[in-house]
Amino acid sequence: MTPAGAWTKAFAALLAAAIVIPVLAVAPLAFSEQSFLQLPPQDWSVRWWGVFFGDASWIRALLTSLEVAALSCLLSVTTGTSAALGLLRLGPRMRALATGLFLGPMVAPVIVLAVGLYALARSLGLVGSTIGLVLAHTMLALPYVVLNVGVSVAGLDPRLALAASGLGASPWRVFRTVTLPSILPGMLGGGIFAFVTSFDEVVLAVFLAGPSVKTLPVRIWEEVRVEYTPVVAVAATIMIILAVIGSAMGRLVTRRTA
Amino acid sequence: MNAAGRQRAMRVAVAALLLTPAMAIIALGFVAPLIRLAILSFSSPAGPLAAYRELATVDVYRVVLRNTLVLALVVSVASLAIGFALSLALMRLEAGWRAIVFACVVLPLWISVLVRTFSWMLILERNGPLNRFLAALGIVDQPLPLLFAFPGVAIGMVHVLLPYAILPIYAALSRIDPALLRASGGLGASRVTTFRRVLLPLSARGLATAATFTFLLSLGFFVTPALLGGPSDTTISMLIDSFVNERLDWPLAAAASMTLLAMALAVIGLAGRFVPVSALSEVG
Amino acid sequence: MSAVAFRGIAKRYGVAEALFPLDLEIASGEFISFLGPSGSGKSTLLNICAGYIEPTAGALFVAGRDVTAAPPRRRNIGMVFQNYALFQHLDVFENVAYGLRVRRTARAELAQRVKDALQAVRLDGFGGRSIRSLSGGQQQRVALARAMAIEPDILLMDEPLGALDKQLRKEVQIEIRRMHVARPRTTLYVTHDQEEALVMSDRIAVLRGGRLVQLGTARELYSRPVDSFVARFLGESNLIVGRVAELGDGRAMLSAQGLAAPIEGYAAQGLRMAEAACALIRPEHVRLVAGGQPARIVERLFLGEIAALRLVLPSGAELWSRLFSSDAPAGDEIEIGWDRERVSILPETS
Repeated sequence: MTPAGAWTKAFAALLAAAIVIPVLAVAPLAFSEQSFLQLPPQDWSVRWWGVFFGDASWIRALLTSLEVAALSCLLSVTTGTSAALGLLRLGPRMRALATGLFLGPMVAPVIVLAVGLYALARSLGLVGSTIGLVLAHTMLALPYVVLNVGVSVAGLDPRLALAASGLGASPWRVFRTVTLPSILPGMLGGGIFAFVTSFDEVVLAVFLAGPSVKTLPVRIWEEVRVEYTPVVAVAATIMIILAVIGSAMGRLVTRRTA
Repeated sequence: MNAAGRQRAMRVAVAALLLTPAMAIIALGFVAPLIRLAILSFSSPAGPLAAYRELATVDVYRVVLRNTLVLALVVSVASLAIGFALSLALMRLEAGWRAIVFACVVLPLWISVLVRTFSWMLILERNGPLNRFLAALGIVDQPLPLLFAFPGVAIGMVHVLLPYAILPIYAALSRIDPALLRASGGLGASRVTTFRRVLLPLSARGLATAATFTFLLSLGFFVTPALLGGPSDTTISMLIDSFVNERLDWPLAAAASMTLLAMALAVIGLAGRFVPVSALSEVG
Repeated sequence: MSAVAFRGIAKRYGVAEALFPLDLEIASGEFISFLGPSGSGKSTLLNICAGYIEPTAGALFVAGRDVTAAPPRRRNIGMVFQNYALFQHLDVFENVAYGLRVRRTARAELAQRVKDALQAVRLDGFGGRSIRSLSGGQQQRVALARAMAIEPDILLMDEPLGALDKQLRKEVQIEIRRMHVARPRTTLYVTHDQEEALVMSDRIAVLRGGRLVQLGTARELYSRPVDSFVARFLGESNLIVGRVAELGDGRAMLSAQGLAAPIEGYAAQGLRMAEAACALIRPEHVRLVAGGQPARIVERLFLGEIAALRLVLPSGAELWSRLFSSDAPAGDEIEIGWDRERVSILPETS
């Protein structure tokens, strides 16, 4: 293709700005002095950070979010990795079928999943419980973990495992010394994604949350729907910071594998 | 049993064991809720099909359905057009600039839709930066009603969907051998002809994937229309929410959910004729 | 009027010279190869000709027309790309027809010309096939047919046989040569394979480091290379390094340690008395001569009628020879000589 001219460059730069600026626009408001939200802020202060960290309910929401994200990350990485290794051992037809099932949560509308889970959780008494939320988020993140690990599993040379067992290694030793090191980046990448997915998720959380179990996005959602103060901007900024850290770690992991 | 048979049986057993935990989570968190909804949708006191009948006959619901489809269509077409243009521009940028712009494109994928939508609420406000910017340019003298109205929903959704449109299109474009474009030019084709006869057909699959993805996602969008839309911008997902949380009408909510799910499956089924479903996962 | 004329064409990337100013005239119907190692500027030259690279200086004339500033599509040039660059979304017929459709050729004529082009590359009846279903050699021929179908003023080929295996490459070389003899078109052919250039070309331009080193027929380049680089690049060569001992009247003598007598031969341009130079003796010109230069056989390779012998001279210099029906085993001492009319004394370049 012909190299970009000035117009093309300007167009790309403008569009890139239009994509990024709205994402980050909320961050300056977290440092606003006013008690109402207006862009751009007139005076600067960190008083709303004080308010956020002085409010037990916000702190609890943040901790709940971290707890749910960590648990569903752990659960989805272990079960997802195991599943990716299991898929490898299936025949082509069974594998396609099982993969299709795993991809289901990716294509079903979130609201449908939320309502269905809510209905089910009500009858099981799991509404407002951490377990319910963790299971829901694990389900949501599982496809990404299975795909991510699946890619590194597929890149694994089966002869390596054969060579290792031929040298006398037990199956567990083969897994630990041959399989694990090569799928670790896929697991890490999938894990980071699972964590961020859970941490960012609102819809399932809104339906499954209870008075004592509320994630950060649920708190933001409740505030935003009614009346909001710059504390919400602080909460949103915290979410952005975590997401940026996650994406940076994700890039690091994928770069090392590339 | 001979040795080979025993080995195969062993293999299947190991595979089943490895798959069980994840399958249990999918069964409990995905399959069971959908079955529960399906049952609920047929359990209206007024008869098994009453909920579906109500959805199909009441004017308000039909309007909501039409709104949802129109919104999804507008938003998908806009995302596709902008996404294609930006992907073409990306291809032509020098490597360094391309990496920066590309990073800008994928960054939003990591950030919560809720946070992004909240940002848009602030930007689109009556006295928000966008209206003040337009006024300063002299394009409008009255602030435009952007927030809690169709333009706001459309802008916010396009913004969320853009990465999903760009990634498959850009992937398709970067798979095209640049020599093909040179060959076309060398054979006498103008840039327009090269675009129409080489670039477009070769990126068709990426465009189809992008179209499927954006349309699928926009059908089921909840957060963005709920926060940025006004009363007349109700979508089917908001309707489902209100059935559950305001009207407490489970059969109706379940029937509406099943309808939305059927629409999503129809999109996938239709797209599956042009795009392998596995291509959808490339984007995630 | 020449078909193609490069007048002072040069290309610089930043401070790096990809191509030094170059003048070259190519006659109508001539098949000329640009031969050189990678980085020699041969592909740059071809791409300048096609219009894909803009020269930093100079002018390019095609059929007397200055096309230096013309975009590729206005040059009427047929190019065969290294990896063919066939349109996978079109079938064979549509690939070949592409340039004609762009030119809005009438339907009947288009069909006829595509048919002729496919016939010329012996792919009649392949029109409906998809590109993917073709073998590498067949794809190569489709690329050729596509380039020829537009009746280009010149045909450009950029290492078109690079992706084929050795056997197929030989066949296609002969095929292309045959087509060229049957219907000469001005052809510029880029390759790093000397054998390819020798088989197909009317003339060969050897490039090195962005400069045209030598231009001539295959025979001229083979028997009278201008320097040791060209000698090494074309054919097998024995180069014996020494100093110029005598120079005059187009002849030179090279003396080197361990030689029974100085080597006499044709003197190339640029030789200076007492300076380093080398003698080029092709393996097939080395013969057994009683009372000649003593040499010892260190290795013999069976090649059928002929044997290839690796000889070492008392100075330690090595020499390959091709000898008919020599039964002398490795380790034997023999005496050799050569026809001095076939020896060249060349400036040493590397």
